[in-house]
Amino acid sequence: MNSYLSTVFSKVGSLLATLLVISLIIFSLVELMPGDVAQMILGQSATEESLRELRQARGLNDPFFTRYGRWITGVLRGDLGDSIYMQGVPISSILWRKVGHSLFLALTAFIIFVPVSIVLGVIAGVKEKKAADSIISFTGLATMALPEFVSGVILISIFAVRLKWLPIVSVIPIGQTLFQNLDILILPALSITFVMFGYVSRMQRSSMIIVMNSDYIKAARLKGLPERYIIFRHALRNALLPTITIIGMNMGWLFGGLIVVETLFGFPGMGSLLMTAIKTRDVPLIEACVLLITVIFALSTMTTDLLYGYLNPRIRFKGGQR
Amino acid sequence: MKYVLYQLKRHPLAIIAILVILGWIFLAFAGPSLLSYTYTEMDSTFQMAPPGVNNHLLGTDALGRDILSRIIVGSRSILTVALFTSILSTILGIILGFSAGYFGKAFDTLFLRSMDILMSIPPLVLSMVVLGILGDSTIASLTLIVSIAFIPATARVSRGVLLSEKSQEYVQAARIRGESHVYIMFAEILPNTVGPIIVEATARFAYSIMMVASLGFLGVGLQPPTPDWGMMVIENRPIIADAPWTVLFPALAIASLVIAISIFSDFISKVLIHER
Amino acid sequence: MNDNILDLKHVSVHYETFEGLFTAVRDISFSLGYNESIGIIGESGCGKSTLSYAILRYLASNAKIEGSVHFKDQNLFELSDREMEGIRGNRISMVYQNPYSSLNPSITIGKQLDEVTIFHRGLSKADARTASLEALELMNIGDGKNLVRRYPHQISGGIQQRIIIAMAILARPDIMVLDEPTTALDVTTEAVILDSINDLKQKLNMSFIYISHDMGVINKVAEQIIVMYNGEMVERGPKEKIFAHPFHPYTRALINCMPRGGVVKEKTYLNTIKGYVKRRGDLATGCPFADRCEKKTATCEDDYGIREVDDGHYAACSRAYAEDVQSPPTKAFHRNSVTAATQQADVPALINIEDLKKVYGLRRKVHALNGVTFSMPAGTVLGVVGESGCGKSTTGHIITGLYSPTKGKVEFKQRDISLDWRKRDAATLREIQLIFQNPGKSLNPSHTVEQIIARPMNKLIGRKNKKERREEIIQLLKTVDLGGDYITKKPKEMSGGEQQRVAIARALAINPELIVCDEPTSALDVSVQASVLNLLNEIQEKTGTSYIFISHDLNVINYISDTILVMYAGFVVEFGLRDEVMAPPFHPYTEALFSAVPDVDPTKKKKVIELTGALPDPSRKVKGCPFASRCHIKIGEVCDKVYPPKREISPTHYYYCHADRSSS
Repeated sequence: MNSYLSTVFSKVGSLLATLLVISLIIFSLVELMPGDVAQMILGQSATEESLRELRQARGLNDPFFTRYGRWITGVLRGDLGDSIYMQGVPISSILWRKVGHSLFLALTAFIIFVPVSIVLGVIAGVKEKKAADSIISFTGLATMALPEFVSGVILISIFAVRLKWLPIVSVIPIGQTLFQNLDILILPALSITFVMFGYVSRMQRSSMIIVMNSDYIKAARLKGLPERYIIFRHALRNALLPTITIIGMNMGWLFGGLIVVETLFGFPGMGSLLMTAIKTRDVPLIEACVLLITVIFALSTMTTDLLYGYLNPRIRFKGGQR
Repeated sequence: MKYVLYQLKRHPLAIIAILVILGWIFLAFAGPSLLSYTYTEMDSTFQMAPPGVNNHLLGTDALGRDILSRIIVGSRSILTVALFTSILSTILGIILGFSAGYFGKAFDTLFLRSMDILMSIPPLVLSMVVLGILGDSTIASLTLIVSIAFIPATARVSRGVLLSEKSQEYVQAARIRGESHVYIMFAEILPNTVGPIIVEATARFAYSIMMVASLGFLGVGLQPPTPDWGMMVIENRPIIADAPWTVLFPALAIASLVIAISIFSDFISKVLIHER
Repeated sequence: MNDNILDLKHVSVHYETFEGLFTAVRDISFSLGYNESIGIIGESGCGKSTLSYAILRYLASNAKIEGSVHFKDQNLFELSDREMEGIRGNRISMVYQNPYSSLNPSITIGKQLDEVTIFHRGLSKADARTASLEALELMNIGDGKNLVRRYPHQISGGIQQRIIIAMAILARPDIMVLDEPTTALDVTTEAVILDSINDLKQKLNMSFIYISHDMGVINKVAEQIIVMYNGEMVERGPKEKIFAHPFHPYTRALINCMPRGGVVKEKTYLNTIKGYVKRRGDLATGCPFADRCEKKTATCEDDYGIREVDDGHYAACSRAYAEDVQSPPTKAFHRNSVTAATQQADVPALINIEDLKKVYGLRRKVHALNGVTFSMPAGTVLGVVGESGCGKSTTGHIITGLYSPTKGKVEFKQRDISLDWRKRDAATLREIQLIFQNPGKSLNPSHTVEQIIARPMNKLIGRKNKKERREEIIQLLKTVDLGGDYITKKPKEMSGGEQQRVAIARALAINPELIVCDEPTSALDVSVQASVLNLLNEIQEKTGTSYIFISHDLNVINYISDTILVMYAGFVVEFGLRDEVMAPPFHPYTEALFSAVPDVDPTKKKKVIELTGALPDPSRKVKGCPFASRCHIKIGEVCDKVYPPKREISPTHYYYCHADRSSS
């Protein structure tokens, strides 16, 4: 068990190292952006004098690493800087609410697609080459590489335009919170579910097939154990392990999908905020959003990694033979 | 070849998929000359016209532009970018993944670390931010950026197939007759890994389309007036309640192409890897 | 009532495949009595495993079965799936070839054992655990209480297989089917397991069906023998009768093909079967072996069928071959006495190895070689024998330059070549060649035979002219008994034997002085092994090339070698001329190895020395004698603490042991 704890520590360490490199990359990427920050803040009519003053005040003329150091220490203290486009509003005052919305949307999608894809994937794997498998496999294949806005548009056309069951856009009226408008979550969450379902269910199916054809399942059958017991006690445990990794790795797609879906539905989340930031070339806001997405993504990958290690006895009890 | 036909007979869906793909390629080449409208022409009397009106087979958008001709012209750019992206990312992936897996040790560790870092920014976020910062995307910049975003995926696949071959005895046999590293990687190992690599490349083609369409949708893809399927969806999004066809048809175009390629890639993997 | 517990009548198994219907098992009938053990023998692909799975009605979905299998009075082919669950693992249990993959990696050993009695005997969890511990004890596995809490990856292969056998006896079944249970294990481990199976036969009233490709193993455990060839039964009868009077030429070949105790290359040319197993069409008739049989007549086609030839002895060949059974065809070789050459000390050694050490891995170290020293003169064959993990392959690989040694010196013709392939010159690379264990993997699957052989010629001896080179390649292929038309074939289109011939031709193409043969015959079927051994022997005769021949099979080593090196856990334990090593006094490990090799003569009974205890942990340096933990003649603490002294019996023969064995 001690060896497991030490892997936890080393994972956390490498996560921090990764984030440090990433923050450097993000910062230098944004450096490349054409245009002058001071000009952007003061507008085209600013005088040369006032521009110079502002540059001086904000330390824009300092060397690269000084500015990076200032930014990153600020971030560590929880100060993400001020938005340029929104006239100097502190980013942390707008960001967290939107992050909360996005995470809630992601969670809703997660709660839908994880059980659905795993259950259907297992069914397809167990009924390999039967009718149920063909239907599930085809659906998975069809949705696997379908952009979220395509499935979103199709969902809107059916449920919002034609049937009028759900709202066409997912905006929160001023003065209300997300929890008073839960119906706006459904279509965006379903749109994300489509892609994730395709990928996860196909992976679950193939790992189930590999396990069901393994020697130890053959051995369990020849021991005369009932099929149901074999599937639940012997096969599932091993077949779920690779799926955990796959879900972790696909959290990246999920965050990409969030941006697309939020843009399509006008959902007030981190993704649509990033979109606005890019369109308005709001440097501090871009930096903050990308860094935050990376942190959340890295945390979720690490969690799945650790979960995988914990559930797999071959990793938990290393120590070889005898 | 006989085996391919045998498999085709067992997978009728694959035949349909191949026909759909060929259909799109044909339309991309010959389509515009068959149409009665050009993609920029604004029919001022028929704005937001439903399908069928005044020879607009799929209707018009808010400016009165013909949806069908915009879709067909749009297929050219997306097919080009997606094709080049899948080829480029596969080649870069082979070079990187093969070298990392082959030389191993510190080089491999460095490779895995940097892939971890590259992977920790979601691919769509990465390409969107970079393209957004650079501004004014072209076919070349779009291809390059998306390919780089895909490298972690393709390089890992290449590295995986190389590692499974590397320990084979024929590689050892080549070593002890003093072959060069390049010869061993590309003359000995590569021919035995074409199956998985082709499968990966065709799957990558579908993902490229997904990615390019999403980038267009987010407004960082090719710039107007070039029609782009993703861009058409977001442009017409505000009028979806009044003129759903303006949004639905470009979406269906993407869906048909992506699904057809996915099915095709699945079929290829059945022929090349699984059912042998 | 019925005297037999199991009756098979006209059982056939067909598979529907891409190429059409394929018959894996054709029209097999036999009976198994109470407390009887039947051994089924045949080469890979002969349908013996399919047959055993057909008995448990466990076959792939594209399989079709015909005929009937009666267990007691039930026809197993007519039972429902639910009823079959009650038979499998309960009345008929099974043991498989690969113990590691047959255990579920994420469930503890204890739970996997308990399941059997919980389901079949309705025991409570606690009672089931007691029963499991009892079964483990029956298989002589100590410390069962500790073992049941472990996961499969924490246990060694030999113990895993014993756990699987324990699992198979838990429900006290009437029949146990064993499908090559010891093939993946070492000889000494195999001996222990075969012994415990024989033990079970006496303790529990059970019938056995034992499947193997090895006549020696079958001889140890079976009373009745069934010989299968290409999906058909060609001979069946009591063990003694089959071994004394094999009727079918294939049975005869199986018994006589392989070098057995005492057969050596100077005296004997190994018996072989020409050709290879061909896949038969569904409608083919007549004797399946006819195309390879040297004595075939018209009756093989017209009047084919299995019939009783002696009391209880059935054969599918009507002509008796009794006349030449006991003496395999011999052919005296005109050999120069190599043994004499080796004894001349002034002849410079071809290979001289001093204190060779190899450590793999950086963080988790594996000490593969712990100081190996030996030398061999030119023109001879050095046999290196030992079990898996003893370092014999590593030694061979270092000599060929696949790896560089961690420490120590390798001299080849007085040149220091302790370098890996990157640093060796072209001449050294040419002079030392390697033949691998798996021919299918050592030939690049996407190259043609011509490309495969031409590349080293081009690279190492500068044969650039394409036309001349092709002529030479065709000549080479003839040397290894292959036709010139093989040059366009790819490895996939050839059988294992043919592939290994191509690999031999590739090695010969550049006239090496030393060929390291790393288990070159162990991936091949028995009937093909013999012909490859003959070929290697002939080539050595003709060209005078030296071989380092690595094998786990003592009989093969005895047959082909001039000198023998016995290795254990990365150490040399014994070295000497063949006849010296193969006769007492022995190093205790050599002795144990000898006793473990299964014989093919049922009249001979030899006492097996059972090695208990575990191999030394390869991640640590061994202090005393490496064999101390398993030694049957261990003399005391000194064995654990001090590395044993070298004991020279003759100028050419020595071993390392604390016990002086020359007096006993």
